[in-house]
Amino acid sequence: MSQLLDIVTTAAILYAVAAGLLIVFGVMKIINFAHGGFLTVGGYSALIVTELGGNPWLSLPFALVVGCVLGMIVERLVVRPLYARPLDAILATWGLGIILGQLITLYFGREVQFVESPVKGAIEFAGASYSQYRLILVLLAVAIAVLLGLVLNGTRLGLQTRAVIMNENLARGLGINSGLVRFITFSLGAGLASLAGALITPLSSVDPNMGVPWLVSAFMLVLVSGMSLVSLALACLVLGGAQVLVSTYGNPILGGLTIVVLAALILRFRPQGFARE
Amino acid sequence: MSSVPAAPAAPAPAAAARRRSSVRLVLGFSAAALVLVAIGPAILPDFMVNNLIRAFLYAVVALTVDILWGYTGILTFGQSAFFGIGAYSAGLIFTHMGFTFEHAALAFSAGIVVSAAVAALVGWLAFYQGASPLYASVVTLVLPIIVAQVLYSGGNFTGSSSGLSGFESFDIEMHTWFWIAGTFLVIVTAGAWMFVRSDAGRVLVAIRENEARCEYLGIDVSRVKILLLVVTAVIAAIAGYAFASVQMVVAPEYAGFVFGTELVIWVALGGRGTLIGPVIGTLLIDVSTAYLSGDLPYYWKLIIGVAFVLVIVALPRGIAPLVTRLFRRARKGGEAAQDSPALRKAQEEPFAGLAGGGHHAIALAGVRKHFGSLQVLEGIEFTAQRGELLSLVGPNGAGKTTLMRCLADGAERSAGSVLINDHDIARAPPCQCVAFGVGRKFQNANTFDALTVAESLRIARTRLEAPSLWTRAGSLDLPDAALKVMQATGLDQRLGMQVRHLSHGQKQALELAMVLALEPSVLLLDEPTAGLTKQERTQIGQILTELTAKHGLCVLLVEHDLDFVREISSRVIVLHQGRIVLDGTVTDVVESELVRTIYAGGGAMSARLA
Repeated sequence: MSQLLDIVTTAAILYAVAAGLLIVFGVMKIINFAHGGFLTVGGYSALIVTELGGNPWLSLPFALVVGCVLGMIVERLVVRPLYARPLDAILATWGLGIILGQLITLYFGREVQFVESPVKGAIEFAGASYSQYRLILVLLAVAIAVLLGLVLNGTRLGLQTRAVIMNENLARGLGINSGLVRFITFSLGAGLASLAGALITPLSSVDPNMGVPWLVSAFMLVLVSGMSLVSLALACLVLGGAQVLVSTYGNPILGGLTIVVLAALILRFRPQGFARE
Repeated sequence: MSSVPAAPAAPAPAAAARRRSSVRLVLGFSAAALVLVAIGPAILPDFMVNNLIRAFLYAVVALTVDILWGYTGILTFGQSAFFGIGAYSAGLIFTHMGFTFEHAALAFSAGIVVSAAVAALVGWLAFYQGASPLYASVVTLVLPIIVAQVLYSGGNFTGSSSGLSGFESFDIEMHTWFWIAGTFLVIVTAGAWMFVRSDAGRVLVAIRENEARCEYLGIDVSRVKILLLVVTAVIAAIAGYAFASVQMVVAPEYAGFVFGTELVIWVALGGRGTLIGPVIGTLLIDVSTAYLSGDLPYYWKLIIGVAFVLVIVALPRGIAPLVTRLFRRARKGGEAAQDSPALRKAQEEPFAGLAGGGHHAIALAGVRKHFGSLQVLEGIEFTAQRGELLSLVGPNGAGKTTLMRCLADGAERSAGSVLINDHDIARAPPCQCVAFGVGRKFQNANTFDALTVAESLRIARTRLEAPSLWTRAGSLDLPDAALKVMQATGLDQRLGMQVRHLSHGQKQALELAMVLALEPSVLLLDEPTAGLTKQERTQIGQILTELTAKHGLCVLLVEHDLDFVREISSRVIVLHQGRIVLDGTVTDVVESELVRTIYAGGGAMSARLA
């Protein structure tokens, strides 16, 4: 039972981490390698809130806002000139991740620090004792997925976004301001990354390089998901599940490689991954 | 035969002289660099000498990144893994078996063999037919992550996270190591320099510019990339071996993904695709890091990060081109003109360079193509013989271009069989279909923008004449038909011009000449004369009829201009809504009521059929 919960909670965490990367990739066809940096920013946002004595729950909206604002600045200055050069965009955003990491190091130091968890302890769930916070994370990940789905499918901005995803030139020809859609998308993606950073810090700790392993996993998950939030959920369950199983029955180091290796193999033999076409 | 001079032979001596001067330039630079390496230890402080040894070896790896990324367009994060493999083969063998000369040789060979094997495996995974560039980058990203994790999990055997240190190694002075590493760097740089400027090196640029066109010119792009990866992996592994031998320490970080990205950063800052830029970039940054990381460790890395982002955004070609531009301006822009070889007529067994002369030139049975539920082609069956000029006509959306695709790439059709010169193409990739005799010209001019006219034609000859790895040939042998197309359109006067500066019509003509240079026996032409003048069009028409009449080619032509079709075709196939509705002579088609209604409008057609 607790293994099943491990799988579900791992998938939920992966989903929260990868969602922001996915929408940026979907709309802008750009892999945002600063995603790990934004995640780290979120972790340190949570640290700031709890250090100042705020309620740990406050760190979530705070991280979201910090991430969004940072995303806006970055989109204007760095990402916008690189729309036509996707491989260069990977590099520039990676460089940005380095900059964020160094700025954080300069201010906070490079040591590992711990953030207070909003809820502590375990609860009885379906006959097993399980970490309360991890269970709450599942609810939050579902909430993120539902909200993103609603925005994409229920609002005018969502409609325009989907139009840009399908055919940007046509969308522009129809009078959609695709630059604005990109701007909002990137900012939202950065916000989600930062939010995810704040969400995962109570489970581990913060340090200036905490984002890198998450970035790699999220990147692979997005590649096998195509552009769909639904297939991302599926990919998180399958690959996250495999990771949990390999870590339990194999060894943790192999477990850490599960997602990257499986994703690379899946793409080799089925380039569309978990997407339908 | 071969004595027929085709075009201005004048550029030849000049080109030869320039080539010689280019060789002299490399030799001169190398000699100067070797002198610096020789006197280095005597004039530099010891700290600097030590750091430069390491930087020399890093620069060698950076060069391999530049070849892969800057020249061939493969963004790789994985060269660190090969460096690590070389380093660990020395570290592991010296630690566990002790240092002897036999063991040193064993470790050296092990590093080479293991890195080559890993590179071949990675290449097979990353560069399959139709792989996207992003996928290849993903695989190169996964590789160092795996290698580093394997090293972490190796326990006492690999030393886990602290790595291996304190093993015995070559009993060589630092000064001598400086000479060894420096000479190694100079040799690799000079070799790479010769290679990228050779005819073979141009193939890499052609792949970067237009991979699909290379495939359709019969170049097995996957194989070229895998070979290139294996060679660069071995070079990186040798650098890693030397690194472990001189530093007597190895750690998983040297095989990891972060080091892989650092290599990319150095190359980008120095200037991708310039060789010398990445070398200088690596030396400067690595040595500065050694000096500055003590005083301002985080600021220095921050500065590198900022510089990297700025360069990627504002100066994608790096710093080196800026410097060379200044240098060029100082010399008053001397070498603007590209060297161009003399055109010569190829020694031709008339178009027998490829498998030819089958029972049927083309034979299709039951060919079908659908995209999801959309039927594009249905039940296509026909045969064509040598010497036929077969035109494929039909309104837009009839499936003409799709049919062309199915003939030139085995992976395209959904069902049915395609035989070219009696070879079943099965699922053969385009480069294999070229070997069966297919030459395909695309609908839109499909060329190499960054290459010159002469270089493009040389690429087209790659399949028939293996290109030199070190030099550029002084002459370019082309079959008669290709030469005639060049002369008819004036391209023979523009051999040294970059393709991007040609007009649309000239690009069309160049692509046709490139396809003819393949010496195909089945020629697929998708609107070959779009964008040409009436006169050029007539000349091309003459060349095509001559090809079929004199050389026995089978030409399959897609054209909208029915007058042109009428003038040159020996047979016409009318395609409508994915089916063959008529297959006959020109007169049959001209007199056909059916064809008139198809072109007049689909509605009338369906009414008639109903």
